[in-house]
Amino acid sequence: MESSKNGRESNEEISEKDENILSFLDSMDTYLTLMDSLSSTLRQGWLELASARHSMGASRINSTLLDLKFHRASTTLQVNEQSAGPDRELPHFTLRKWASSNNPEKNFEEAKFGEDELLKIKSNSLRRRDTSQSSEIQARSPESVGTPVSVDDLAQRERSKSLSMFGTLVSPKLRASQVSFETGTVATLFI
Amino acid sequence: MANRVQIRTNSSAFIAMIADEDTITGFLLAGVGNVDLRRKTNYLIVDSKTTMKQIEEAFKEFTTREDIAIVLISQYVANKIRFLVDSYNKPIPAILEIPSKDHPYDPAHDSVLSRVKYLFSTESVASGRR
Repeated sequence: MESSKNGRESNEEISEKDENILSFLDSMDTYLTLMDSLSSTLRQGWLELASARHSMGASRINSTLLDLKFHRASTTLQVNEQSAGPDRELPHFTLRKWASSNNPEKNFEEAKFGEDELLKIKSNSLRRRDTSQSSEIQARSPESVGTPVSVDDLAQRERSKSLSMFGTLVSPKLRASQVSFETGTVATLFI
Repeated sequence: MANRVQIRTNSSAFIAMIADEDTITGFLLAGVGNVDLRRKTNYLIVDSKTTMKQIEEAFKEFTTREDIAIVLISQYVANKIRFLVDSYNKPIPAILEIPSKDHPYDPAHDSVLSRVKYLFSTESVASGRR
């Protein structure tokens, strides 16, 4: 009786370990797929940047034009703790895109990512290879009467500010490159 | 409980970058660039003139700053300071190796996959069984 009980317990332990290993291998598969997705997004961004450089001229798009005056990043992260068990905590990242430089705590698009949530979302999103739409992106406005349109306007304003370091009139390819790298930033959060 | 790693919370943290010019330019267009009052940036552009010492110092600076949550580093740059990257084990800031324009992503050199490979290696499994 005792030996069969011990046998059952060890079978349960083995199946639990097998589950953990399978879950771990799934995570690694997800990691590789996301890296592949990030690579292709960045490749697209580099190609668009090269096209913009070709049309605008190399002197108009280079590192010497980067703004070295004091300015805050428009895209930041909020890091919180997320409990994953009695002795374990995981970092929980929230991406804040295009926060206004005047009011960095207000008016931004917010994408929440937790490791466990991502793993659940990924199993669906990866089959569609559409990571940008699977994230929980919410447009948030602090005013109760604010509309999503005002947040988009502010985001557009911040985007234009970023582009302005390369001049007032910029190639559409540079704008496209900006969008690609924005998607790449979101993809790094997924990873 | 004694070994519990503390997660450093932050309401407004930055993404740091150590990469080539085009990658940095692209991410700066995405609004990730930050310059503080002392003109310190959250990025380092690596080119042919950048020394290994500069890369090491930037990596050490970004991984010890409290306002940085993620460090993006091009894989070919990470290979130059592989000993530093592999010995880093804090959860925040998180390190992510990304491909670069001239050096595509190589899974054989990825630090995350190297650790996985070690976990599943025969030596590791054998030492666990003893």
